[in-house]
Amino acid sequence: MRIACPFCGERENGEFTYLGDASPKRPTFAVDSGESPERVEDAFYDYVYLRDNVAGFMREYWYHGGGCRSWLIAERNTVTHEFRSVTAAPGVGASKPVQAGE
Amino acid sequence: MVDYLWNTQSPLQKALVAGRHGVAGAQAGVTLVEVRDLVLVQVMARRGKAADTAKAAKKLFGVDAPNTPKAVAGKSATLVWSGPDQFTVLAPRTDESSQIDAMSQAFSGAASLSDQSDGRCLIRVSGPRGRDAIAKFSSLDLHDAAFPVGTAANTSVDHTAVNCWREANGADGHPVYSMLVFTSFADSLWHAIVDSSLEYGVDTSRTRAA
Amino acid sequence: MKYSIFSLAKAALSGHQGWTRAWRDPAPKSHYDVIIIGGGGHGLATAYFLANEYGIRNVAVLEKGWIGSGNAGRNTTIIRSNYGLPGNTGFYELSMKLWERMEQDLNYNAMVSQRGIINLYHSDAQRDAFARRGNTMRINGIDAELLDAVQIRKELPFLNYDSPRFPIMGGLMQRRGGTARHDAVVWGYARAADQRGVDIIQNCEVTGFVRDQNGKVTGVETSRGKISAGKVGMAVAGNTSRVAAMAGMKLPIESHVLQAFVTEAIKPLIPGVVTFGAGHFYISQSDKGGLVFGGDLDGYNSYAQRGNMPVVEDVCEGGMAVMPMIGRVRMLRQWGGIMDMSMDGTPIIDKTPIDGLYLNAGWCYGGFKATPASGLVFAHLLARDEPHPEAARFRLDRFRRGAMIDEKGQGAQPNLH
Ligand SMILES: Cc1cc2nc3c(=O)[nH]c(=O)nc-3n(C[C@H](O)[C@H](O)[C@H](O)COP(=O)(O)OP(=O)(O)OC[C@H]3O[C@@H](n4cnc5c(N)ncnc54)[C@H](O)[C@@H]3O)c2cc1C
Ligand SMILES: [Zn+2]
Repeated sequence: MRIACPFCGERENGEFTYLGDASPKRPTFAVDSGESPERVEDAFYDYVYLRDNVAGFMREYWYHGGGCRSWLIAERNTVTHEFRSVTAAPGVGASKPVQAGE
Repeated sequence: MVDYLWNTQSPLQKALVAGRHGVAGAQAGVTLVEVRDLVLVQVMARRGKAADTAKAAKKLFGVDAPNTPKAVAGKSATLVWSGPDQFTVLAPRTDESSQIDAMSQAFSGAASLSDQSDGRCLIRVSGPRGRDAIAKFSSLDLHDAAFPVGTAANTSVDHTAVNCWREANGADGHPVYSMLVFTSFADSLWHAIVDSSLEYGVDTSRTRAA
Repeated sequence: MKYSIFSLAKAALSGHQGWTRAWRDPAPKSHYDVIIIGGGGHGLATAYFLANEYGIRNVAVLEKGWIGSGNAGRNTTIIRSNYGLPGNTGFYELSMKLWERMEQDLNYNAMVSQRGIINLYHSDAQRDAFARRGNTMRINGIDAELLDAVQIRKELPFLNYDSPRFPIMGGLMQRRGGTARHDAVVWGYARAADQRGVDIIQNCEVTGFVRDQNGKVTGVETSRGKISAGKVGMAVAGNTSRVAAMAGMKLPIESHVLQAFVTEAIKPLIPGVVTFGAGHFYISQSDKGGLVFGGDLDGYNSYAQRGNMPVVEDVCEGGMAVMPMIGRVRMLRQWGGIMDMSMDGTPIIDKTPIDGLYLNAGWCYGGFKATPASGLVFAHLLARDEPHPEAARFRLDRFRRGAMIDEKGQGAQPNLH
């Protein structure tokens, strides 16, 4: 695999580190919001442990640690290893002000 | 009280044995030079301050700071891209503290600076077979079309971070590459380059930044 | 036909023309008491134990390709029972005991070879961890010996003892560990299961589940038609999430690629299995003479049975560090298999929340050594509807309950287990 970093250009995948599926979102529960512990636990169980483990195109995090040290989001086919897109993850670089949820 | 003497010494103090190595011949295929006496400052724009940082750089160095992987020669310094909204400033060491003070003032409020002067080692590779030697240990595409003069890249060589850029061609018309590496890994990168160059014959030396 | 020295001699006399096929090639029936999805080692062993131990013979194993085309035929064939955590220790020792009698049980030469496995250590801290693991093993009646460098040097003189970075200080040896011929394990279970009435149906891909009005699984849709079943067990290794998704289930599993390598054949060199403790590298020598070795997962989700160059480089660097002479031998082949990596690195053998559907998965890259025990305990679960005592901790809900069995202590990052 070669990965086209939006900042550095195409590089061999040894320069990158993989985190995994970019879709799980950390649950947000307001403290003391009256949510049942069961529901909170279920939500965290789902977030931490369960995976769609997609066969096909998947959005995933890669880190260009051997290059520009940016977090990236790639769309990659897990069956063929083909990349469809590679873009900067939210918060990379300093151009944009901090966005909610970063 | 004991008096300490702070002596900066080259990270290649032992590894660099000046002279000719490998295949003998009239002309060395590779020329390898350690460039000493640099001031090196990493400039990282603060959140939302990329434009201010660019403006400050322009004012201080008289050129646009690179916002793609490029190395740009400015007034008294070279600016090398090192990631989104960050670059490294390289200048021959004259009066280090006033050089750094000037930058601190210029970028105040816009960017964070980090003095790397003695944290990195600069190695310059040139000669007719320089590119061939690098090709043995680097995965960068160094073809003229992909890596013309002025191109820069952050890459890794044997798991070690290296900032590489292409200088103006040498007097012999062959490409010249600069490689910036952490001092603690300099020895190992130096050996990799020398090893790769032996079959072409390699001249090694040390010089002051100019 | 019973295999023996006499049947071999007899066949030789008739020019080896009289051999019969080792298992039948039946068309699928319309109903089975139990359907096992997946004709790898685990699926076939499950069918064998269902028939042999639990008297359930109306069983089919459905395999989308040919049996052993998955990880069963792609692994580096290491067997061992040197696990340290409750749940694992006993289970893998049960498996080792079954390996020790497998060839008699199956009347098949699976080339089980207890040539020993040694895990090298390279620091004081690692020695202490290995000593502790060895003690855990011995308390549980499993053989383990802590050897120092002098002792190891006698058995393995070719290793790099004096490397300044990774000096070999000693190792934890399990002499009962070793290797087995992976294909022969598949064929042995297939033949023994077939002899006991199990239908092995190849080129039969499961494409969906048949459910009744209560949601209970009552059969499967396949590329060769619908087949009904009393119970359905999944043993599809790297494809677990895909098959589970057909039943609407999301699991604590990611699929990752693991590569393996073999060199040209050389004269006998490595007596047992050697693992490098300062990187990820393990090696043994096959009976054909090739050096068989491997290392880390590639590290990204994958359903492709091939990997990439960075791991090839990493594995070879590990090899060069611990055994520099390996640099003189040529690599012959290299391939990949899809690992069902669970969130704690430990398998799951349990009923699912769906009635009639049973799960055997999460083998990560250590499931070959588990093959016989996995088959036995999964058969027990399918037959009795309750977990086998040695697999009682391999529950699907352990993540929700916080009862992980994490040998490596990596947490829920499956590519690091
Ligand atoms: C390179 C490599 C090295 C390894 N080294 C070792 C080792 O040294 N020691 C060790 O203990 N373990 C090792 N393993 C792990 C071990 O091989 C696996 O954990 C084990 O083989 C998994 O069980 P199995 O044999 O049943 O899997 P598989 O052989 O993969 O069986 C699953 C079967 O399910 C079939 N299938 C999938 N989907 C469907 C469907 N929809 N319908 C019908 N059939 C389907 C597949 O075709 C496949 O044949 C290694 C694995 C690999 C890849
Ligand atoms: Zn990059």
